[in-house]
Amino acid sequence: MSAPTLSASTLKVGESLPMQERTFTTVDLVAYGAATWDWHRLHYDLDYARSVKLPNVVIDGQEYGAVFAKAIIDWAGSQAFIRRLALKYKSMAFAGDHLVAVGEVTGIRVNGDFDIVSVAQRLMNGDRVVAEATAEVRLPH
Amino acid sequence: MSLLTDELKAWIGRTITYPACEELSRASIRYFALALRDYNPLYSDDGYARQAGYPSVIAPPTLVVETCQYAHRPANVDGYFGHEWHLPIEGCRQIRAGNDYEFTRPILPTDRISAAWTLENIEERASSRGGTQLFVQSVARFTADGNELLAINRETLVYQPLQPAGENA
Repeated sequence: MSAPTLSASTLKVGESLPMQERTFTTVDLVAYGAATWDWHRLHYDLDYARSVKLPNVVIDGQEYGAVFAKAIIDWAGSQAFIRRLALKYKSMAFAGDHLVAVGEVTGIRVNGDFDIVSVAQRLMNGDRVVAEATAEVRLPH
Repeated sequence: MSLLTDELKAWIGRTITYPACEELSRASIRYFALALRDYNPLYSDDGYARQAGYPSVIAPPTLVVETCQYAHRPANVDGYFGHEWHLPIEGCRQIRAGNDYEFTRPILPTDRISAAWTLENIEERASSRGGTQLFVQSVARFTADGNELLAINRETLVYQPLQPAGENA
């Protein structure tokens, strides 16, 4: 059986999404770069990172979109469809950083044959915000 | 002196299209999911995905807007070979400010995905560091065969002068 999909009728505005956390290693950065056909040395070449005055190789900001999307699908289920995801990048994060994704429901509305659930998410590195996102998730009735 | 030169303004409205080289493929989907440590069988098990109502495995939601699989050319000196404009901006560092994605349907391994980038606008705005900085707004439209729209990526990059205004070299 595929994972059950949430019903909007069981959700409440203000409800939290399950937290997701992960330490990003240089191996993770190499894997993501390869999997997205992006070989920019900023994400794996420490000498290069230091030459541009950075303390370590940099996590690709676009990966945060994938992290936020995974948190939504893991929570909402197999038939949930993200129709919009808007990201704002707030600070850089580096190999070795432990990032925590949190989120909450900010709105629920019926839209034709589907319900649309709005979600606000934040990716934290300790007390520092790394990225913020707002998403619209389509759920079947 | 303004960062937004007439030469730079002439770039607004330019478009570059990258035609699909091949189908997205199951391999690209599974590779992306593994790189994210995302073991959801929607991305690797056809039977599981069919039970959820899909014709086959699907791609993780943001793969279509994050991959440079559309590109087919040599990497630049830093190893990057995805889309870039090569704008005539000097003495600035580039910072990714935002990505705003819209998706129309789940992406399938059989989709042949082309990308069309348009440089929509360049604005010069005051910087909290003093002086000004450039905001470059581009939009990428990802389409499948027959120009079916799959996803849109509105991207904002900021170009910050390395030498803040008022400081002597």
